[in-house]
Amino acid sequence: MLRIEVHALPHAATLRCIGRIVLGVECEILRCVAEGRTEANLILDLAQVRAMDAAGLGLLVELHINASGRGQALRIVGASRPVCALMAITSLHSVLNVSDCEEGELDPGGTGSCFAGRYMTA
Amino acid sequence: MQATSRTEEQQRISKEFAFPGDVQSLAQSRQAMMDFLAPYCSGEAEEIDLFLTLQEALANAILHGCGNDPSKTIHCRVEIDPSAVEITIRDPGPGFDPYNATQSTDDGTNLTPHGRGICLMRSLMDEVTYRRGGTELHLRKLRATRT
Repeated sequence: MLRIEVHALPHAATLRCIGRIVLGVECEILRCVAEGRTEANLILDLAQVRAMDAAGLGLLVELHINASGRGQALRIVGASRPVCALMAITSLHSVLNVSDCEEGELDPGGTGSCFAGRYMTA
Repeated sequence: MQATSRTEEQQRISKEFAFPGDVQSLAQSRQAMMDFLAPYCSGEAEEIDLFLTLQEALANAILHGCGNDPSKTIHCRVEIDPSAVEITIRDPGPGFDPYNATQSTDDGTNLTPHGRGICLMRSLMDEVTYRRGGTELHLRKLRATRT
């Protein structure tokens, strides 16, 4: 199961993923939610992702490529230990934008984020 | 269909499985194999390695071997002895060249969305071998000593 919480800032959206990003409906819902965001900065918060497989890694790559094509900056933050381990094994940590950051760094005006929605698989 | 047999020495345990070849059956299929394997794992780390490996192996069999078709069947066999866990997964697909399938992703520099499942299995298992033109996957993981 995957739950996605969307927090929107004026120029950034954070997708907080909770659960698993694996082959099947979980990957599909993350793909749909991420591809639907138009903010200049898109942040994937993976701190609460407890499992990921190669399909999930491939989706991160796909989102990275598509975001670049749209002129959108995609950043992965708070990758959990299982996700970090998989990225290290497949050397993706060196090609994707992976870091830890606070939402405030992208909101210099301090207007704060608004909760923009929640998506959840069965 | 499941069948369990034990050798006279009762040191080698095996079990066979047959699963539908669609993505919706993947979690249940994986869990059925993990339910058999988990009691023989030496610890959580080994259990996680097997869990991830089965996820990738079954996903590949479903997507590439069965075309995500529930009418097709994946046949699996698990064998456990004191030294190793061996898993064999057969699919009815056309087969493939495992070398070419992973060459572009092994060094992590190619941003392709596919091809990392085999790379993951190779890092988690002690042996990963494709036979019969790529339609049969043989996995082997040496067992750690129980503490």
